[in-house]
Amino acid sequence: MTSALMKTVFAALAKRALQALIVAVVVGIVSFAMMQALPGDAAYRIAAGRYGYDMMDAAAADAVRLELGLDQPAILQLWIWLKALAQFDLGTSLVYGTPVIDEISTQLGYSLLLAGGAIVASLLIALPVGIAAGLNPNGIVDRVTFGLSVLFRAIPAFALGIVLVLIFAVQLGLFPVAGFHGPENLVLPSLTLGLGLAAVSNRVLRDSVVDAMRADWRLFSRTKGLSARLTLTRHVLRNAALPVVAYIGVQLAYLIEGVVIVETVFAWPGIGHALVHAIFGRDIAMVQGTALTLGLLYVALNLCVDLACRGIDPRGRLA
Amino acid sequence: MIYSIEVNALSVYAGKTRLMGPISFNLSNGGTLVIMGETGAGKSLIAQAILGTLPNTLHAKGQITVNGRRVDQMRQSARRRMWGTVIATLPQEPWRALDPLMRAFRQVSEAHHYVGGKKRSLANADTAKAFETLGLTGAEKQLPNTLSGGMAQRVAFAAATAGNAPILLADEPTKGLDAERHTKVVELLAKVPKEGGTLIAITHDVSVTRRLAGEVIVLRDGALVEQGKAIDVLANPTSSYTQSLIDADPKNWPQSEKQSDLAEKRDVVLTVENLAVARSGKRLFEGFDLTLRAGERVALVGPSGIGKTTLLDAMAGLIKPEAGTVTRAQSQSRHTVQKLYQDPPAAFPARIALKHVLKDVARLHKTDWSSVLTTLEKLGIHPSLLDRKPDEVSGGELQRISIARALTVGPKVLLADEPTSRLDPITQRDTLNMLETMAAAENFAVVLVTHDRQIANKWADRTIILT
Repeated sequence: MTSALMKTVFAALAKRALQALIVAVVVGIVSFAMMQALPGDAAYRIAAGRYGYDMMDAAAADAVRLELGLDQPAILQLWIWLKALAQFDLGTSLVYGTPVIDEISTQLGYSLLLAGGAIVASLLIALPVGIAAGLNPNGIVDRVTFGLSVLFRAIPAFALGIVLVLIFAVQLGLFPVAGFHGPENLVLPSLTLGLGLAAVSNRVLRDSVVDAMRADWRLFSRTKGLSARLTLTRHVLRNAALPVVAYIGVQLAYLIEGVVIVETVFAWPGIGHALVHAIFGRDIAMVQGTALTLGLLYVALNLCVDLACRGIDPRGRLA
Repeated sequence: MIYSIEVNALSVYAGKTRLMGPISFNLSNGGTLVIMGETGAGKSLIAQAILGTLPNTLHAKGQITVNGRRVDQMRQSARRRMWGTVIATLPQEPWRALDPLMRAFRQVSEAHHYVGGKKRSLANADTAKAFETLGLTGAEKQLPNTLSGGMAQRVAFAAATAGNAPILLADEPTKGLDAERHTKVVELLAKVPKEGGTLIAITHDVSVTRRLAGEVIVLRDGALVEQGKAIDVLANPTSSYTQSLIDADPKNWPQSEKQSDLAEKRDVVLTVENLAVARSGKRLFEGFDLTLRAGERVALVGPSGIGKTTLLDAMAGLIKPEAGTVTRAQSQSRHTVQKLYQDPPAAFPARIALKHVLKDVARLHKTDWSSVLTTLEKLGIHPSLLDRKPDEVSGGELQRISIARALTVGPKVLLADEPTSRLDPITQRDTLNMLETMAAAENFAVVLVTHDRQIANKWADRTIILT
């Protein structure tokens, strides 16, 4: 790695580290405030989560309230959480009593697997479709894929997930419906997210291929004697890839939001699924922990996109 | 005699409309052909027809024979195989012709490797040699966006000629280059026929034709006006159009009247004292003084990259100078200093009709629309042009519209940043003539930035040379 590249990598790392810190504090405060704003008595919900609805009463709820310090002022509870966070301690789950970090570390792996699967699926769809449409703008492929893109982007992820389950799992029996027992479980949730991502990114790629094919430098590459194939592989693809990779950064918001929804639809044992459960159970520590992890995941993935862009585009590098 | 390239009755059609031609010429090894004419005269169509890069909506008729083979009857794929190895092309906009993401050295060495068929090590060695010969040492690792126009042109030259093609097509090779780089590129091209190659150059610049010599074809609106030996045609043009092209060469301009007694008669409109400017932290120059009087024409001359544009921006109050002061006369608001830009299309929003742009400015400054129309009329712009978008009028028209836009505000000072360097010589002369007339009529001062000393000498009251 050249020193110029090293410098730009460090610049990106420093910027994202600061961003991560800000995200951590803001997500912690916002998720705490939102949990406080939920109606109902948190202590009742937590007691119900621990002992079951039939086995609990007001006394149990009061015991929980006392044990977890839920009677303390909200601002004090937040302060305790932030102080623990500064020591990298996410606390313990209010419902299960296990350390939040243990819960999240298993769930995070599953979520990353799903997010990775979704990106791979979106690229497998968007790359061939976008390039084919871009090489022949306004052709039949371009117009059909444009229509499909609008359609798939318009369908919410949960609806698309259910449709895919009905077709591929229930009717055709090709893939399992939900849960996680093996790689075959990865296909449908990845496809659900991947279709939504590819619906937009294939159009971005299509536009950048059209631009690249019309560029003066492409014609010059041909007239200086390079074949169509060499021009494509040495010049067009790199230039066309740049906006697409940069756009993946924009799509991460959709991806993270999608992970929460799709995990719930497919009962995927990931962090989004855990977040939804924690909200229902008023497990504040888990909510804050999972929301924080998702926020940091967003920052980390953005860092990867940043580095990929800098790898493709040497222009930003300090000389 | 075997000609390396033989063109017989070549014309280019859009459907049934003939856009260019018919033209015929023969060139053997060591020969030079210069194709002259204004933008839009169809010069580039000849190059595209020879190469086979005409857009799908156009088609060529006539015979093109290269090294004894009828090119026009070949399949497209066979014609493409000649690119780089039989016919090389020097592009019109070298900056845009280079891959923005690839370093200069690799763009040349890949041509040596893939087109020249050399091993990597030999390709690299030959590229290094070419960089040295062309004075590009040190630019190997640079990306196109950090190259100057002249350097980009030479990198493109090195890449285009790597395949050792005997025929070189150069389309407007000196467009937008300053005087020094202009000379260098022309020298580079003149070497091609000397070394046994064949050169076809397309230009609107009489000085380029004079230097390259050889044969010349003059086109107007796609039709052949004149053809013959360059020396003869330039010395004794038979058509008035050729004569007007020659007259448009700044060297042949009539001398504008020098206003010399301004100091007593006119008010000072702008004072610049001890100005220093910097770009990205690097100081470009310092200690610049200038006193501008109403109606005065001052030319600023200097090579590319010296900071002429930055200086103008500082004078316009668009950037903060590093040191020194720019003072307007007390009665003047900041709108009284206006700027004209080098690349007219870049100074207008691309998708909005020109009328809206002008009307917005007029409304903002409470200028009567009829007075804008009067200005446009004086500049020779028909109001119907205003319904078009910026890319639907010519560069010269657009620059005149941008002059009208600046005048809408009633400026006392007009800072013109190479306003004509991208225009045809005839349009350039007409535009500067109009600017002179308007400055005299409306009594505003003009600071003209140019890299052409001839223009400065002929046009301005006084010239400041930046070094």
